[in-house]
Amino acid sequence: MTSTCEATTRVLPGAAVIELAGEVDGSAATVLTTAYEQAVGAGADLGTVVLDFAAVDYINSTGIALIVSVLARARAERRKVVASGLSPHYREIFDITRLSDYIELFPDLDRAVSQITHPAA
Amino acid sequence: MTQVARPAPRRLDAFTLPSEPGNERLALARVAGTVKDLGLPPQRLERLKTAVAEATMNAIEHGNGNRPEIPVEVEVTQNGDEIIVAISDQGGEKNAASGDGAGDGAGAGAGGQEEPDLAKKLDGGQSPRGWGLFLIRNMVDAMDVTTNGQRHTISLTMRTGGAAHDQHM
Repeated sequence: MTSTCEATTRVLPGAAVIELAGEVDGSAATVLTTAYEQAVGAGADLGTVVLDFAAVDYINSTGIALIVSVLARARAERRKVVASGLSPHYREIFDITRLSDYIELFPDLDRAVSQITHPAA
Repeated sequence: MTQVARPAPRRLDAFTLPSEPGNERLALARVAGTVKDLGLPPQRLERLKTAVAEATMNAIEHGNGNRPEIPVEVEVTQNGDEIIVAISDQGGEKNAASGDGAGDGAGAGAGGQEEPDLAKKLDGGQSPRGWGLFLIRNMVDAMDVTTNGQRHTISLTMRTGGAAHDQHM
């Protein structure tokens, strides 16, 4: 199955950012895993992983499972996961699956990054 | 003497799709186009789209075993203020009672379906998968499953109003 998910990673002080685009479904498994490893591989002190969904137009149940897997791995590595840019619909799905109990949600990437890099603000 | 009769159900669309992974996107796009002028608020339309996609994925994968030559059938009906999307496969009881171990194939009322529990999934006590039916149930106003021989149908009902339902989400 051809993946229509793309990921761009970058590293900020204390945080790894994964900007996702396209569709987060079963075909996104390799893209997401590779992006996570690239992002956190840049430094052991990266305590937070930001998943940005602003350019994502579709998430299905298999995509939710991939996000669960990323969250489980991050927690095992003592990293926090936050998310930004979810549409109201997908915020609702994060709520009913209880992902939002474990993943703090921000309206957009700027606010997520601001909170991480200036936590007292 | 006058009688106020409820309008008869009206079939809005019926189509088939080859059972190939990814074709659920075609189903959701076509259903969304069919119902776009029926007064569903945007958030409820998004919910219906997700439910249609998940039910079609189940039909493709668990019902028809990803065999393109076996079509998934989709029918969209309007009955008063209800929009009903019926999605049928040829999986018979197996699709009503079991999935691939991930639990996505279990039907309404079928036993053996463990409710997805994120805490368990994060601790390795459950597979990360198994969200499909959970999502469907939480997206629509009603989900009904019928099996007639090999034909297995999941019917999704969404009312064009439904504000009370929204408040409970």
